[in-house]
Amino acid sequence: MNSYSLFTWRHPALSLLMIVSVGTAASYGHPFLLDNSIMIGIFSLMALSVGISYGQAGILSLATATFAAIGAFATAILTVNYRLSPYLGLLAAILLPTVCAYLLARCILRLSPLPLSIATFVLGGLVEVLIKQGGDFTGGYIGLSGIPRLSIAPSAQAMHFLTWAVVLLVVVLCVSLMNSSTGRAINTARHDPLRAVADGVDVPHLLSNTFAFSGAIAGVAGWLYAHHITYIGPDSLTTQVSITVLLMAVVGGVKVILGPIFGAAILMVVVLYLPAAESQGMFFGSILVFMLLVAPNGLLGSRWRLPTLRGGLERPTSPMLLMPAKEEN
Amino acid sequence: MGIEVSNVTVRFGGITALSEVSVSLSPGQIVAVIGANGSGKSTLFNSITGLVSVASGSIRIDDDEVIRIPPHRRIAGGLARTFQTPRFDPRITVEKAVLCGFYPVARSGFVRSLLHTPGSAREERTIRRECDGILALFKLDKLRSVPMGELPMGQVRLVEVARSVANKPKYLLLDEPAAGLTRVEQELLSAEIRNLVARGVGVLLVEHNFNLVQQLSEHVVVLDRGSILFTGAPAELAGNRAFVDAYLGTSGH
Repeated sequence: MNSYSLFTWRHPALSLLMIVSVGTAASYGHPFLLDNSIMIGIFSLMALSVGISYGQAGILSLATATFAAIGAFATAILTVNYRLSPYLGLLAAILLPTVCAYLLARCILRLSPLPLSIATFVLGGLVEVLIKQGGDFTGGYIGLSGIPRLSIAPSAQAMHFLTWAVVLLVVVLCVSLMNSSTGRAINTARHDPLRAVADGVDVPHLLSNTFAFSGAIAGVAGWLYAHHITYIGPDSLTTQVSITVLLMAVVGGVKVILGPIFGAAILMVVVLYLPAAESQGMFFGSILVFMLLVAPNGLLGSRWRLPTLRGGLERPTSPMLLMPAKEEN
Repeated sequence: MGIEVSNVTVRFGGITALSEVSVSLSPGQIVAVIGANGSGKSTLFNSITGLVSVASGSIRIDDDEVIRIPPHRRIAGGLARTFQTPRFDPRITVEKAVLCGFYPVARSGFVRSLLHTPGSAREERTIRRECDGILALFKLDKLRSVPMGELPMGQVRLVEVARSVANKPKYLLLDEPAAGLTRVEQELLSAEIRNLVARGVGVLLVEHNFNLVQQLSEHVVVLDRGSILFTGAPAELAGNRAFVDAYLGTSGH
């Protein structure tokens, strides 16, 4: 249903699988590359969360990393404070952000999209305060360390496989969703809520569900983050990270399923070779301006006039014909 | 049975858009609503579908009061409409636009669509097959992969009608479906409307094209500045001197 201008195989997950296979072969046994690949995977999940909420449903969220933080703290508190299983933590890391996102959207979506964005921003600040004031429960300013590694992924190599398996799974879910009546209704609601109502869509309910799903994806990313880094603190997954992730999704192409992953990979590599962490903001800002000027639909969302392996990818474009034809009377 | 609009008044701030309007539509009937711009035709549609709130009066669909029922549930209950100014995403293809109309008949919700359960996959295949049928019916099958923004307005309207019939409505509200259509497309559209009516669909039609109104409908409602000016058969209307002078002007003779 969606037009993939690049990687136009039958299923985006297949193209992703091929790229991940190449990445796996290249990084095999290199701890440095593996660590980066895992982080790209985790950020890809957060960017996919943006792709679903902003790209598909038009909800601009500044709380992606906040939902990830909720997931990460949920599993950290359960495993560190209560010595419970990380898999119980996974359940909490999915459920809590889902519920938070659903309720937030349900309360505020009756208004226009802008108040929701502001509310997500406020949520980010609120959660940060709660974490810092949480005392021993959340680790306060120090955070929680000693989060156990996962028994199914004890090594970096295994973690790499787990992370990318989760990314692939999420891509499969997103593609299924977007190729259904529900997905088409989400797209209609993004473009014109009134049109969606006339199609019989309960717009606030549908968009809240979509936002909840995007919250769940972010929660899983937070779960992976916590068990990979084995530490989570108030400065780990902040609103700054939400904005970075949003930028990743926009650079890659929010409306294309694989776009956010592509953007995450590119920006993570750029950050890797940046001279200093302080100049990040400058680079990100200029990348954003550059993207908006050159390819506002993102790298995968734009139709590039490049020679491709498959001919005929370029569809002929004709000028918009929105003028009504002459009336006959 | 049918849609029963009784004494409906709609106000926007100080402006009374509809005042004490009553219209009834039975299954298998075509009722045409005509009137000048601003006479309240679209407001009547919006109040039936629930897009504007009604100040007083009652709207019953199949003997159920729907004033307090949200629009999406009215649509799911067997109502469908098109817009006077077609609302569509210019980037989506004709096929996708028509597929969007199937939303009310799709039974798999968010989670089942997400998990791509066998049931939801089967449903998607059924919907696509039925969509092919509708596209063929409206002779749009050759345009299926053309973006909506590249179509001439006449065909956009046909797509809108195709989208609205996708959920097999019991009542269909068409807001100027024939504006901008070529004669051939108009004939195709009126044949399709007749087909729907023969299957028991009630059609409420806003139309400026008086020839089409005369061809199609047995019953006409004329609105003028929010009130009903005339109801009756189109034949009587053509003979109604006051109406002809007021609405059709001299060129209507």
